[in-house]
Order: sequence, then structure tokens, then C-alpha cells
Amino acid sequence: MPTRRTALALTALLALAPPAAAGPQVDRPAPAFTARDADGRTVSLADYKGRTVVLEWTNHDCPFVQKHYGGQAMQALQKKWTEQGVVWLSVISSAPGEQGAVSGPEANRLTQERGAAPTAVVLDTDGAVGRAYGAQTTPHMFVVKGDGTLAYMGGIDDKPSAALTDLKTARNHVDAALSEIAAGKAVSVKTARPYGCSVKYAS
Amino acid sequence: MRLASCLVALAALAAMPAAAQAPRVNPKYADLVKAELVAEPGAVAPGQPFAVGVRLVMKPHWHVYWRNPGDSGLAPEIAWSLPAGFSAGPVAWPVPARIPVSGLVNFGYEGETLLTATVTPPEGLEPGRPVTLRAKVSYLVCERECVPGEASVSATLPVAPPGTSVRPDPRHAGLFAAARAQLPTPAPWPHRVTEEGDTLTLHLDAPGLTREAVADLAFFPYSETAIEHAAPQEVTVDGRGLHVALKRSSLTPAGTITRLDGVLALTERTGDAAVRRAFALGEAPSVPGTAPPSPAAAAPPAAVAPPEDAPAGVWAAALLAFLGGLLLNLMPCVFPVLSIKVLGLVRQSGESLGRVRLHGLAYTAGVMASFLALAGLLAALRAGGAEIGWGFQLQSPLVVASLAYVLFAMGLSLSGALHLGGRLAGIGDGLTRRAGLEGSFFTGVLATVVATPCTAPFMGAAVGFALTQGAAVSLAVFAALGFGLALPFLLLAFWPAAVRRLPRPGAWMETLKGFLAFPLYATVAWLVWILSQQVGPGGLFLALLGLVLVAFCAFVLERARTAGPWGARAGMAAVLLAVLGLGLLVAALDRDRAGAPAIAAAGGPEPFTQARLDGLLAQGRPVFVNMTAAWCITCQVNERTALATQAVTAAFRAHDIAYLKGDWTNQNPEITRVLEAHGRSGVPLYVLYRGPGDAQVLPQILTESAVLAALDRAAPARRAALSSPQE
Repeated sequence: MPTRRTALALTALLALAPPAAAGPQVDRPAPAFTARDADGRTVSLADYKGRTVVLEWTNHDCPFVQKHYGGQAMQALQKKWTEQGVVWLSVISSAPGEQGAVSGPEANRLTQERGAAPTAVVLDTDGAVGRAYGAQTTPHMFVVKGDGTLAYMGGIDDKPSAALTDLKTARNHVDAALSEIAAGKAVSVKTARPYGCSVKYAS
Repeated sequence: MRLASCLVALAALAAMPAAAQAPRVNPKYADLVKAELVAEPGAVAPGQPFAVGVRLVMKPHWHVYWRNPGDSGLAPEIAWSLPAGFSAGPVAWPVPARIPVSGLVNFGYEGETLLTATVTPPEGLEPGRPVTLRAKVSYLVCERECVPGEASVSATLPVAPPGTSVRPDPRHAGLFAAARAQLPTPAPWPHRVTEEGDTLTLHLDAPGLTREAVADLAFFPYSETAIEHAAPQEVTVDGRGLHVALKRSSLTPAGTITRLDGVLALTERTGDAAVRRAFALGEAPSVPGTAPPSPAAAAPPAAVAPPEDAPAGVWAAALLAFLGGLLLNLMPCVFPVLSIKVLGLVRQSGESLGRVRLHGLAYTAGVMASFLALAGLLAALRAGGAEIGWGFQLQSPLVVASLAYVLFAMGLSLSGALHLGGRLAGIGDGLTRRAGLEGSFFTGVLATVVATPCTAPFMGAAVGFALTQGAAVSLAVFAALGFGLALPFLLLAFWPAAVRRLPRPGAWMETLKGFLAFPLYATVAWLVWILSQQVGPGGLFLALLGLVLVAFCAFVLERARTAGPWGARAGMAAVLLAVLGLGLLVAALDRDRAGAPAIAAAGGPEPFTQARLDGLLAQGRPVFVNMTAAWCITCQVNERTALATQAVTAAFRAHDIAYLKGDWTNQNPEITRVLEAHGRSGVPLYVLYRGPGDAQVLPQILTESAVLAALDRAAPARRAALSSPQE
């Protein structure tokens, strides 16, 4: 009986706690989603339970995305981590007709041309996944741990610029977070300011 | 046809990787931004700082970004290459606009902008050898799509011989004047931030503002990760100032923001125009072309000591309330209840000591709950009042007079001249006899209610205080008051043996009650003193007459209590009339406010009266008249930036121009006539009289140079007389 009463009291306290900020929050469960990839297959976050998942918002015509692909940095990061069992989802939330919007075959061709190595390219044409995550920019990065909690969200690195030369000196927050997760350590930088072009949602 | 579409498809295919690798050569993106470097003066004077600006002209609908670009984008960067010995200050960022892009919001500039900075040349410059200033500007320009760009800009200027004054380059005068007008000025009010859940509220202590006077408000934070840029910004105005509710960014953990600096832009509706204003909260851009200000001067004086809900004040108030709560226990309606209840618990129920302690805790919870509920109710009332435009504050004579009347009535009740809620007290005894923990809890609640006849005087003071303070302060005060009231019972429940040491109830309690009326009378005296600074002698007389009416009400009520049904009805009628009279008095009081003695500080401007103006003009002295009001933002800004400056004060003295200031805060009719005479329906109004019938009206937005030029023109004869001995 006393335990039940305590539980009730705790529930009441939780109900009184301030409401969480909208959008995802680090150390909380990442928003679930189901969408189609470039090959028409269904992709769900729930499918990857137990594995670390990276979400990369992208738009191949955005100069900031071009900085990271032009310098081969994004491709290298994708290869390095997918080889270690990490799931890498490149998400395109551009609405049809907007910059960066591509069909499935076009997306696959882009992957091939750029030598990219994502696990899948998610075509989020209605922007539902983007809005669930509050994705603002391309690139905008999210790292979800195997237990489904969000471990990192924000910019890909700490040098907000479109200049290739900044790649060398920047701290790549995603690489750092993945390394820490792989080593069983706590993620030291959990959020950073996202930078880049705006995600081209339907207006 | 088919061939054509094939060709288009081929071209598109070919363009794709090309675009991916070299977006900058795409002709679609040509000439998005035209950049140039402009300097304000026509020549460089050695050692004399001057303003330069990078002018960016964007293609229609394209924008570049502010220092915090908002949800996406990137602020422009300027890398200077200056001749040896030259140095450039930081960019002074003009006020940005909110630029929405499908659900996101950016902060930036459309059309064109001038990013100004101050360049300081060295002392030893060789006249005759022109200098060239160069800069590399990197920017990101976006419409829906974004394109990074870079421009190398330069400007070449001749060097003026030392000692000569350089003139502004007439080609750029308009550009720089417009850029300066776009710079935020240091805010005249202190600001602070509070956090509740995921809402950050920015408070500006700007008392006297009205909600109707403020429109199109936007806050631009310097930090990129403080708030959700696209979230709506809810504005409220109450007696204490302006409050903007913002949403904390999910990138920032709760409880980490203690300061929120940035730029607040708003449109103020003055009587005659709508004026766009921008204020820097915290760090402010220095006006380009002036020597870099010393750090002390740069900090807005208001921001140095933001009056938080001063913790010391809260503690003092809570301590006083706690003592007041303790004192309540000695009141005739509480004390007997207290000892009977405790004794009853200990003797009759024969319960274990632990059980008795639980009863003590339940009682305490009951008392605290009632007090906190009352505080919550008051906070809600206060918020509701603020919403519909009431300001519960001591600045309002209406509030001060009402408080004085309430406290006076309470004092009369303590003195025994009036008996309030006598019937309620009887209920108490029955209720305290209930058993069980709930019984003790409700005894606590009811002890609070039942004790009202005695506690009301103290509650009156606490309520009055709470209404003029923030919710946190009033909660603290009421919690302390409740705890004070509950503490003796709690202590007795824990150490029942102490009951024997309590003094017996008796006549001494009535004496104490009578004595306690006097602190209340003293408070009334203090309130009347406050009132005497807010209203004229006529108003003060009315206010004191109101106290007489309150005493009369008490007298009639007491008589009616003992009279028959007819007497009671007549009494009620008399009281109603008296209350009506009180209402009229208080309302009349509000209209008869004092003039403006406060602003007539020694050495400063004199208060305006038409007689004084006529007298000065008859003496042949030029007169500058400033019609202002406490709630007029534009007036305050003009005074800080263009009227109270050292140069202007010196010019008033040098030209022997009298300075009259009219305070229209309370709608002085004499000032209203002057406003009407100049076709205005509101302040600010600035008039410079060179003589009777020779008046010049200055613009509503003043600059220091415009005021100096006007003052110079106002006294040509005197200036000639002053300067002739030197020539």
C-alpha cells in the first residue's frame, strides 16, 4: 500500500512538472517516424532498435552541403561509421519543386556520383520527419542511440561557414558523438547550433 | 519537339553535377549582391576617427543576415586590409527584420544595408598622399535558395593637413544618416529574464507604458541558441513594464539562461505618428565615426544594476510577514482556539505523541494551503487587472488612497470602534472539535477563515503589499505569514508540555489588540505622505476628507448593529451613501495630480508654465520648450540622446537659452493647449522661441547635431558678441 501511495504521489509530481519544450530533446526518446526511401522501401526508426542511427538532413544544391560533400568529408564519415554497424539515413525534406527535391532514381544517382555511403536516403517529401525533428538547416544532424534516446542534435561541426578550408580545423560533433557512443562513454557535446541553408519545406 | 525535350533533359543532366561543384558561376546567381566601400568624410584627418560602411545592395527578395542569422544562414564577415597604423572597430549592426521562410525565421536585411564601422587613422599621416582602405566581404545571400559570395571592396581618400576639420562627403551623407537611424540605441530601461517551463520571459522595467502605444514588437537575441526564433513573441504590458514571452530553444538546457541580451524593435504610437524604435539590451553598437567609447560609458547605465525582485527585499518582507503571522496567534479570536485545540488533542483523545505531531503537521498544512490559495487568487486578480490595463502600483494615487482607507478601517476595527465579521468567530469553536487528521487540516483552513476579524488588519497590509509586487514575492509573503500563524500550534503539538507555560487568555489580549491599531495608523500616515507627493493640496484635502468618511462609515455601522430593524436599514443606506462618496473622492483625487515638481532638479530645465514662458520671452531671452511624458518612449530617447548631452547643455548655457520642460504624464491642460496650438494631439513637442511670435518647431525625432544647429540659429546676435573678442 505505501508503495502504491508513493507511486501516486510521484505521478502527481510529474504531472506538475513543467511541460517539455516542443521538438526533440537530447537524452529523451527520439521522435518515431516511418517514411519511404529512394528505392521505395519503408524505413522506420523502430526497425533499427539496438543500433546507433545518424539522421543527416541534406539538399545537394545547398552550398553548405556542397562544402561537406565537395571536400569528401561527409562521404568519409558515412563510410567510417556504416562499416562499424551504424545506420546512416540521409533525409531530404525539400518539398516537390523546391531546391534539393529529387526522385528516387535521382537520389540514387546523386549517391553514386558523389561516392556517398548512407544506409538509405529518406524522401520526406511532405516534411513530416523534418518537422518532427525540428530540422532547420541542411546539413542538420541527429544521432539516436540504440536504446532510442537522442544523443546529439545540431550542426555537423563548430565552424559555421560555406568555406571548404574550414573542414580541416573544425571539430566534427557527429564523429565525436559516435566515437564516444562506440566507446561506451557519455556524449560530451550534445547540442550545437545548426548552420546552413534553410530546409525547403512547402511554404 | 521530341528532340527539344531530349535536349532539355540532357542539359538538365549536364547541369546537375556542374551545379553541385561550382554554384557560383551559375548565371541565375549573377549580381545578387552589389558591394561597395564608402567613407563618410571627404578626406582623412590624422588621428581623427571616421565612419566607413560596407554597402550591400541585394537583388529584390534576396537577403543577407544579421549577427545572429536566426534559424539558418550566416552573418556577413568583413576582413579589413588597412594601411599601416589604421585600425577598424567592430561592425555596428543595423536593426534586422524577421524574414520568414516556410515555418523558419531568419534575421537579416532585404533591399540594401550599410554595415558601418569606425576607422581610426594614425596621427602621423603625410598630407597629400591618399590612403586606400580595402576589405574582403564574405556573405551568404538567400531568397529561398542560398548562395555564398565574396567581394573585394576599396575606397581611396585624400589626407587633410593636420588641424583642419574634414567635411562629410556629400555623396554619402544620406547613406550614413540612414544607417545611424537604423542602429539600436541603448535601452533606457533595465532588463532581465525569467524562466518558467520552456518559456523565457524578457522583462523591461518601463513603468507607465501602455499596451496600445506599442506595436510590431520583435526581439532579436544576440545568442544563436537562446530562443526558438520562429516562435511567436507574446507581449504584455502592465504597471511595472513590458514583458515579452519567448520560447526557450531546445538547444539550451533549462535553467541555464540568466541574461538575455539582444535588440528589441518596436513601433511606438505617439499622439501624431508611429515611430519605429530599436533598443540594444546589453551590449550596444557604438555610433560609427566617433572615438571608441570607454567601457564604462558604453554600458547602458540602466543595465549595470538590474533591479531583480531584490532578494534582500523579499527576505525582509517574508521575515516581517512571519513575525506578523506569529503575532496573529495572540489575537483574541485565535489564541483561545489555539490552546483549547492543543489541550483537547493531548488530554481527551489520549493519542500517542506521534499521532499528535501528525495532527500538528496537518493543521500547519491547512493554514499554509489557505494562505497560498489566497496568494494565488491575488496573483490571478493582479494579472487579470494588468491585462485590462489596471496598474496596481504605488505610483497611482488611486491605489495609494484606497490602501490608506482600507488600512484605516482595519485600524478602527482594532481600536474597537468597529466590529467586523463577529458572526464568523462563533463557527470556529464547533469546527475545532472534529477528530481525525482531515479534521486538523480543515481546522487549519478554518482557523485562517475564522480568525479573519482579527487577522484582516494584517491581511490588509499583506494584500496591499502583494498587489504591488510580483507573484513570487507575494507567494513568499503569504507563505511566511501562514507559517508564522501555524508555528506555535506545530510547536505545541511536538512539545505538549509547553502548553502549561502559555499565558492564560484574558483582558491583556484586548489591550494588545488596541495597541496594534497604532502601527496601522502609522502606515496610513505614511500613505498620506506618499499621496502628498502625487496630488496637489486640493487632492490631499479630498483624501483626508475620505478618512473622515471612513470613520463616519464605521460609526454608522456600529450604531446600526445595535439599533432595531429600522435603524439597521437607515444605517445601511447611510453607509452606501458614504461608500459612494468615497468612490467619487478617490476618482476626483486621480484627476488632481501634482504638476511636475520632480523634474525641476537644480540646474536642470525649469518646469513649464505659460506664465514663465511669456515672462522669459518678455525679457528677450530665447526659450526652448520640451513637452514630454513619462510613458513616451520617443521623448525619453530624445532626452537621452539629443537633449541631456554635454554639448547641448553647454550650448544652452553659452547662448543663454532658457529650457522649459512640460510634463504631460498626467495630461496637464495648460500643456494640452500648447500642443493644440501647434496642431499636435500628443507629445513629444519641441519648440524653440526666438522671441514672442517667433517659434520654430523641431522634429519629433531629435539628433544632437540638429538640436545644436537650431540652438546656434536661435541666438545669432549673442553668438556674434561672444565670438568677436577672439577675432
